Parts: sequence; C-alpha cells; structure tokens
Amino acid sequence: MKIDLANPAWQQTLPPARSVATDAPVAACAFNRDGTTVAFALGDGVVRVLPADVKAAAPDAAEPLHKGVVLALVGDPAGDGFVSGGDDGRVLRIAADGTSTELLAQKGKWFEHLVAHKTGAVAASAGKSMFLFRDGEVREFGPHPSTVAALDFSKDGSRVACAHYGGITVWSLSKDVVLPPRRFAWQGSHVALRWSTDGKFIATGTQENDIHVWRVAQATDMRMQGYPAKVKSLSWTADARFLYTSSQPVFTAWPFAGKGPEGKPPLQFGDEGAGLMTVVAAHPAAEFVAGGYDSGELQLGDIRTRRSVVLKMADGAAITCLAWSPDGFKLAVGNDRGDLLTIDLRR
Amino acid sequence: MATPQTSAQVPVTVLTGYLGAGKTTLLNRILSEQHGKKYAVIVNEFGELGIDNDLVVNADEEVFEMNNGCICCTVRGDLIRIIEGLMKRKDKFDGILVETTGLADPGPVAQTFFTDEDVKARTRLDAIVTVIDAKHFFGQLEQGSEAEQQVAFADVILLNKTDLVSADELAKVEDRIRGINRYARIFHTQKSQIGLDAILDKGAFDLGRILEFEPDFLHSGHDHHHEDEVRSLSITADRPVDPDKFQKWMGALLQIKGADIFRSKGILAIDGAPRRYVYQGVHMMMDSAWGTQWKDGEKRSSKLVFIGRNLDGDNLQRAFEDCLK
Repeated sequence: MKIDLANPAWQQTLPPARSVATDAPVAACAFNRDGTTVAFALGDGVVRVLPADVKAAAPDAAEPLHKGVVLALVGDPAGDGFVSGGDDGRVLRIAADGTSTELLAQKGKWFEHLVAHKTGAVAASAGKSMFLFRDGEVREFGPHPSTVAALDFSKDGSRVACAHYGGITVWSLSKDVVLPPRRFAWQGSHVALRWSTDGKFIATGTQENDIHVWRVAQATDMRMQGYPAKVKSLSWTADARFLYTSSQPVFTAWPFAGKGPEGKPPLQFGDEGAGLMTVVAAHPAAEFVAGGYDSGELQLGDIRTRRSVVLKMADGAAITCLAWSPDGFKLAVGNDRGDLLTIDLRR
Repeated sequence: MATPQTSAQVPVTVLTGYLGAGKTTLLNRILSEQHGKKYAVIVNEFGELGIDNDLVVNADEEVFEMNNGCICCTVRGDLIRIIEGLMKRKDKFDGILVETTGLADPGPVAQTFFTDEDVKARTRLDAIVTVIDAKHFFGQLEQGSEAEQQVAFADVILLNKTDLVSADELAKVEDRIRGINRYARIFHTQKSQIGLDAILDKGAFDLGRILEFEPDFLHSGHDHHHEDEVRSLSITADRPVDPDKFQKWMGALLQIKGADIFRSKGILAIDGAPRRYVYQGVHMMMDSAWGTQWKDGEKRSSKLVFIGRNLDGDNLQRAFEDCLK
C-alpha cells in the first residue's frame, strides 16, 4: 500500500475526488468485481454507474431500474456489473453496459439486504426469507422467526447467517449434504450482522444498542455494551484481528486476536469526529479503516499508527454507505442528500 | 427527556379499530380525496385497499420485546424497519398512516415512537384514531380486552355506522366509550365520512399542545366503576409540586402499574418554576418538557390524567398530595 497518513499532504489538501450531485438519498454503494466501475443505489429507483477513475467524467443519469427505492446493491461476483434489490420486490442483475435482467420478483416484499461472495454467490433477504442466487439457480431459505434484518456469508461461502428477532440462524448452503439450520439464540432484535473474515465469529448489533458476538464452533457468546445508539455498521479487519463498530465519535475496534475481547476495553483511536459514526468500513487488505459520520464528516484511520485524517468535512448530510475498491485505493461514499463521492487515496 | 418537535419529522397517524369497523373505508377516503398531500400507508392486509397506490406498504405486525428489563416495553420491529426504508425515498411524505389489525394492541405501536431513536428523529406520533362500529361495539367488548384498549389509547374516536343503530343505542355506546376514555374527541360518522382535518395533524402527542387538544382536560371527576374495567380519571392540586417527590412517586407508579396504565398526561405547577411542566406517557414510557410560562396572577394548579385498568382515584389523589409543598 502506498497510503501513508504521516504524509503531510493529508493535512494540507484533500485527496483527488469526484462528487456527483443527485437529489435522492443513497442507500448503498459498491465497486464492480474488477474495480473499473462504481455504482450507487438511489431513493428514486436509479442505480447510477460511474467510472471508478475519479478523473473520468460522470455519464448522464440513467432511467430508474426499480420502481421505488433501490435498498441494496453489491458488485456482481459472477459478472462485470452489479446486483440490486428494491422495495418494488425485485432483484436485478445489472450488466456492465447498464442493461438489467430480473433475477427474482416477490410482490409486496422489500429486498433490503444483499451480500456477495467471491465464489459467485449472492444472498438476498426479503421478509422472513433468505434467497440464494448461485449458478443460475434461486433457492429460498426460511421462514425465519421474523423479518431478516441482516445477513452475511461465511468466509468460504458455504453458509449464510441471518439476523432476526431472538438471535441468528446459520444455513448450510450445500445441496449434497443437507444440514438443518443452526440457531444461535439471544433475546431481542438483531439489526446488523457481520461474519468475521476468518470465519470464527459472527457479530450482530442489537435494537438495545449492544453488540453480540458468537464463537461459531463453540456456540458461546459475548456481549459488549455502552453505545449511545444502535450499532448498524460492523466491519472486520482483513486479518480478523479487530471488529470495527459504528455509533462512537472515534474509530472503535474490539480486539479478537488471542483470547478475544472479554474483559478488555475496545481500542479507540483517531481524532474525534463531528457526531457519531454511522458507517464504518475496514480496508480489504491493509490496516486502514474509513468511517462516515451522521454529520457528513468522513475520516480515514490507521490502526497501526492510531492516527486519523479527515477526508471530507461535516456538511449536515449523514453518510449512509461506504465501499472500498477491490485494490483498496479508492473509496465510494454516499449520503442521505444524494451526493455520490468517489475518492482516490493515492498521493 | 422530550424529543424536540421539528417540521422535518413526518407526522404518523395510527388507525385502530375492530375488523369491519370501517378502517379500510376511511383509508380509501383519505387516499382518494383531492387534498394535494402525499401519504404513505402501512397496512397489515395487502390488497384490501381499493386504491392503486405505490405508497402502500405491507406490514407484518412484528411485536418485539425490548431486551432492557422493562416487561411491558414492546415495540413494532416492522415499523422501525419500514419507516427507515420510507425515509430513503426521494419523494417525501406529508404524513404516514399506520393501520393495525382488528385485534392489535395499540401499545407497541405507540411505544415504538417513544423508544426508537431513529424513528423519533424522522417521525412523530401525531394521534391514535380509533374507528368503532356502533352496532357491534358491546359485542366486541365482551370478546376480549382489545376493543376496550383501542378506545383507551384513542385521541380521536370515530363512532361509525351510526345509521345502523337507534338514538338510544347510540347514546349507550357513547356513554360506554366515555366511561373508558373521557378525553378523546368523538365524532359520529356514517361510512367513515369525516373531514380529514378532524383526524390528521392533531399533535395529540405534542407536549406543547397538551392543553389545546383536550376540551375536557381541565374538568376533573371521579366515577364509580368496576375495578378491572378500563377507565379514565384525573386528579388535581392547587399547591405547588415538589419535583423530587413527584419524580419518585411517578417513577415507582409506572414501574409497578405501567402495564395497566395505557395513557397518562399531566401539567404540573412545580414549586418555584416560572413555567408549566408537562409530560405524557404510554405504559412505562414517558416524555416531559417545560411548557408555557405562568402568567402574572394566574392560578397555578396541577392536573394529572390517567387512562387505564385497576385505577384507584382516591389512592392516586392521596399519593399525589404527598408530593405537594
């Protein structure tokens, strides 16, 4: 990596970036598989696809693909484009040229969450069901005890964990060996979920502003409290040594190396930002982390040096989504006012 | 503490009432009337509405217990999720209407707006509107506690289908409603015909409008009731209130009896304070704030209102008097 936060340039000028203004809140953003394009899911049904190169001009806005809000978006792990989900009850595969095909339609449902795995699989949730898209097939898993509020793949893509009221459910996706789902119970409503990058832990954020973490193999669990708001954004570092959590004014990372975080305080570092962090995204390979705030501020942190720099000042529009490019040099940022920001961190 | 009310908060009207009382008719009327406003409607039965409106959202009525040690603190998980989703739309709304199923307890819906910070930031509970079938109300009271609870929670009551009962029967139904909830506004309607200004944008949960909303708020009274019936009562005091004692008493009261108290409101003359202290609550949840200034020479009196079950007015009055200076 060539990103060095000790470089005085960070204090003097903001890195090169391109901002495209729209008038619809941004629900999600993602880079495509090879990192050449970046897309933003908007509140008017548009999926805006832009060149990832921040110096390239932005093409005109496209027609809405969804009728309503595009609630979820991922880079297509089996193609060059994207996969989107909307409150019109549809999941679409969007090709690199902008044409779309419908993967699934469920009348009256909202496709609120999508996750992708590098093996080519995509999982989506709508209502109490989880849907798996793989090798041209769609399979439904569920029903869960309540609406699925978050989901994630295991490290190897062989399982999907779904968060709901009363705990989480882990599904084995294999068609050869059909295993019953495993239920990990914890009372209350779980609203965010991330499976650790080493596959050993599953973390959730709860309605009661706590974090809950299960050790998958042992089915033991732990709880971290003390957040002033719901933790809706969780992100594991690439080496799985830390779990970043939103809803604090600084980067907050729970240590999972060695014996785990029990009895230890979280590592908090960086300059205090304006407001609370709404989204946090660990770098896909290195020791960096991006954090967006409800004030619109955006920070880049380095856990090794415990420094942070400001990438964008507070402007009153809460950051709603963040995504790293596959090579880790670019960052996509969306907010609730409709600004589509792409930043190039090489300098 | 109180949530500041801002214009950015979308008003939410909750529509309750037994199956067949006329909720869907009312919703269809609201949506089809030419009022130039845009409403999102959250319903529990998709397809019942006659209007093809893409802002109709189907809800599952997922009632979640909060894992916070408060036994009666339940919220509607689906509402939290749907409101969050609606706020991602480019087109904003003038209001949100939430229809509940005929047998739903309005408590969890109301508590969602007291409990969830994200919901509070984006929306405000405007009023609970209950539609009652004049012909079948007594029968529904006998079937369970739901009909009674829906009346108890109401800010506005549409006493509907008045054309299907005699004047005598209607008077009896209205008496019974008043026995449960003397503070709600009652409108007599046929086929849910009502001016929308009677039910929308009422500010019934706005602490600044507590006095304005209720015509009977300043009349106190105790009636004789069976203990387990839902009733409403008010207690008053002319001496200033000791804030510490009051806090302690109200906290303990809601802790012990919160499950039985559906709605509570109050205006307090706090000892030495130039402003009124106002509060309102749903079960154990409560919001409070400083209200308007007492005028020079104005009589400073306090008044508390409770709507609930197993309420002993004399006991409450005595306990409240122990909180006075």
